[in-house]
Amino acid sequence: MTTNISRRTALRLASGGVAAAFAAPSILRAQGAYPDRPINIVVPFDTGGYNDRLARAFAPFLQERIGQPLNVINRGGAGALLGHTYFLQQPADGYTLLCTSAGPYIPLNILTQDATFKLEDFHMINLPSQDYTLLATSKESGLTDIADVIEKLKADPGSLSIGVQPASADLVNLMILMDANGIPRDGLRIVTFDGGGPARNAVAGAVVDIGLVGGEGFLPLADKITPLLTYDRVQRDNWGGKLVTDINGAEAAFVFGSQRGWGVHASLVKDSPDVYAKILAAIEETSKDPKVIEALTSQQLATTWYGPDESNAQLAASAKVIEQYLDLLKGA
Amino acid sequence: MNRSDRIVVNWGHIALLAVIGSTIAAYLFDARATSLKVNNLLFVQPAAIAGLLLVLLVLPQCFRRVSADEPAPEAEPLSHLAKVAGLMAALVALALSMERVGFDVATFGFLVVALRLCGERNWIVNLGFSAAFTALLIYGYGAIIPFPFPLTIL
Amino acid sequence: MLDLAAVDSALALLTSSGTAWLFVIPGLLIGLFFGAMPGISITMAMAIFLPMTLYMDFLPAIIFLTSIYTGAGFGGSVPAVLMNIPGTSSAVATTFDGYPMARQGKHNEALGLALAASVIGCLASYVLLLFLIVPVSSVVLKMGPLEMSAVAIWGMLLLGSLSGNSLPRGLLAGVLGLLLGTIGMNTAGYVRGTMGVPWLLDGIPTIPAMMGLLAASQLISLVNAKYLIDDEASRKISFRRIFSGFRMTLQYPTIILRGTFIGVIIGSIPGVGSSISNLLSYSETKRNAPDGASFGTGNPKGVIAAESANSSSEGGAMATMLALGIPGGGATAILLAAFAMHNIVGGPSFIANSKDVVYAIIFSNFAQALLLLVVGLGFVYLAGYIVRVPMRFLIPSVLVVAVFGSYAIDGTASGPITLVVFSILGWAMVRYGYPVAATVVGLLLGSLVEGNLLRTWQISGGDPAYALERPGALLILALMAFSIGMTAWSARRRRRAERLADVES
Repeated sequence: MTTNISRRTALRLASGGVAAAFAAPSILRAQGAYPDRPINIVVPFDTGGYNDRLARAFAPFLQERIGQPLNVINRGGAGALLGHTYFLQQPADGYTLLCTSAGPYIPLNILTQDATFKLEDFHMINLPSQDYTLLATSKESGLTDIADVIEKLKADPGSLSIGVQPASADLVNLMILMDANGIPRDGLRIVTFDGGGPARNAVAGAVVDIGLVGGEGFLPLADKITPLLTYDRVQRDNWGGKLVTDINGAEAAFVFGSQRGWGVHASLVKDSPDVYAKILAAIEETSKDPKVIEALTSQQLATTWYGPDESNAQLAASAKVIEQYLDLLKGA
Repeated sequence: MNRSDRIVVNWGHIALLAVIGSTIAAYLFDARATSLKVNNLLFVQPAAIAGLLLVLLVLPQCFRRVSADEPAPEAEPLSHLAKVAGLMAALVALALSMERVGFDVATFGFLVVALRLCGERNWIVNLGFSAAFTALLIYGYGAIIPFPFPLTIL
Repeated sequence: MLDLAAVDSALALLTSSGTAWLFVIPGLLIGLFFGAMPGISITMAMAIFLPMTLYMDFLPAIIFLTSIYTGAGFGGSVPAVLMNIPGTSSAVATTFDGYPMARQGKHNEALGLALAASVIGCLASYVLLLFLIVPVSSVVLKMGPLEMSAVAIWGMLLLGSLSGNSLPRGLLAGVLGLLLGTIGMNTAGYVRGTMGVPWLLDGIPTIPAMMGLLAASQLISLVNAKYLIDDEASRKISFRRIFSGFRMTLQYPTIILRGTFIGVIIGSIPGVGSSISNLLSYSETKRNAPDGASFGTGNPKGVIAAESANSSSEGGAMATMLALGIPGGGATAILLAAFAMHNIVGGPSFIANSKDVVYAIIFSNFAQALLLLVVGLGFVYLAGYIVRVPMRFLIPSVLVVAVFGSYAIDGTASGPITLVVFSILGWAMVRYGYPVAATVVGLLLGSLVEGNLLRTWQISGGDPAYALERPGALLILALMAFSIGMTAWSARRRRRAERLADVES
């Protein structure tokens, strides 16, 4: 779906200014000082998801600093492959920004979907949101500790049904845990779901025995589940289960669920450093603005500033782990 | 059985069955080439085989025995089929060209051709309606999905 | 189950904020208009107006958005009846009898039936919701893949009954639809049948495919017709006849009740919703009606069955959203986003702590449904004028609208290309006596059937004893078998009675 719902457009629509709402076609114009026309934000997911909400919540504040209206364009489909391809097809002139779950989707597009782009074609300015895999079970399952799960699976790998999404970071994290405990992958009873929502519902409803899904989405279902294992080095969202570092040691390998935030074309950084510097400064200032932090936190959206260096390094690191588990992701 | 019976073959129906049958077969082969695991074929393989069997079951219906004294069914006027084919060709052209030549030009062109095919003989009415409806659609839909259509003139 | 104190404060809440009510009629009109435009989904309509609600208080914002939801739910039925275009997948079954009625000159009655059935279905679903919100939500999470497979198979029964004159052709059309519905990446991550086209990874875009199969193919073959309705006297638009549609609806309370019940239950299941409920309700009604054979040729009961189920799905989806905080589809995802904008998080704690707000939302939906009757009446009256447009203008215009609508879905040429391919296929299928409706139903069910059968196999490890652990699924299957058995029995009794009558005469 493609909707571009800048507040201005919506208000104009409502006031009946039908013709005025029509956005300008992509005709080349004389280049003035950047930015001299509206800027598009490509979200490679449909409306209503985390990236979409993040882009729409952040845009009004960012456009104050950039000085031009921002339009959100949703290009969902094929695990963000279509949206990422579309983004790279747009000119690298700073008039198209990207708001995406860079990890794991960009590496997955490249490794499993034969995408025509490389990781180096993207440059992440900031990835404030790092979702994490949560291994959870239904309140009624009787399982209360990850040790019980490991013990059961060691005795019989098929004893518990495990809900995951195919070709996901969660699947990689599951296999890391299995490998570390010497549980054979083949015997596992894996149940695949088409999205995080259905997988979480199945966990909460005890349809599957355990499930590995992005943890933030579990919050509304918190009183129906028992969190068993968080794939991070620190506790997240006060779940209180074990951490992956408690089980697999301080150096435990794992992948972050979704690393979401803001990116631009890598060629922009090199070819138009002035434009890049303006965008970088605007995003950094906006992310650090207390007013913005308050507004986004109330919608459970992240604004933490990590900066380009750390964000790109984090993304490259998870791309590497994902590559190690490539076989697993190609044939679930 | 009467010697003067003839068999009437419905070639159009055979062509449709061939398209359906080959689509199903190609899909089955593609699915099997992807992976032979149950996770892949559980539903697709049995359904495709059932589909192919149904194609075979329907195939005899394309051949009809008619007795010689039965009058041949009245043939559809060719002009009707020509109009249908023309309309389809215009639709294909619209879908393939609108991003290239712009929605305004493609839509206007389609409307002019389609109105003529559907029987509007007055060119002034045709051109006027086509222009007005194109503008209405582009501004109307443009307002609802405030996502720019590629345009050339408007 | 009904907390009277909360009811009291809900009424206080609604009467204290008079401005909230100002948003109902604009919301309904926006919904009707957007819903009637092919390719513009309810989600898109709500998403466009979501940012506006940022400046409103919570209650007006939610009332405004749910009004759009209610309006758009019915809006889709108008093109379904008048042009055989299901603007959304939830109006598919409406086309089966609504469009034949329109072509027979009963467009007034058909629109009246659709409107009345929608309003009653919507009202009834919110009444059910008022009492059942908590139990329904506890059932929803328990729906496992076996239960879902049972629901999907129930839907597939419709394929057989849509088959028309030749059962093999009907089944072939259905199987073709089912297979086409599984193209793309399946639930286990395997990619089949995409021919290397990236947008096919998510499967064939259903709405353009449906518009092509049902509407464009029809229009193309009408190229020689002068008007949609041959008889000039029947082309009138008349309030009286729309009202007679209303009255006709009231004669079939069982159909409405069944439709509502199916709508609420199926609508509350995340990811299934109104696109399946209208099919199930149609199928059940057809099987249980003594004149089942005339379904598909303009039987008013078919319209009532479809419309009462798709409009009551709204109530079911709202139940899941309010009680669990999980969206069943795009529209409820937008509502949840609106909740979040006002710092309200849906879910069990919301129901427990804010019963008054929940009741206020439900009560305001009663009012919306009643107002829909008035606003919708004006809307269908105006829309009815379409039948007076000569076909030489109507065919090109509607085809172009369908192309724009299919482009609007995701802003790429994938929609229009799908539309064109399926209109050619649809035209050929209609020409040689294949029920395109069966292909459409198959297309809608394909991935649901495959995904859930696959998950059932994965969970059970292929062990049939798993079914014994799932009494819910067994119950659904038993109900299904019972319903089929009853149909067969009553059909036999009817035949016997007919034969007896023949002998006597």
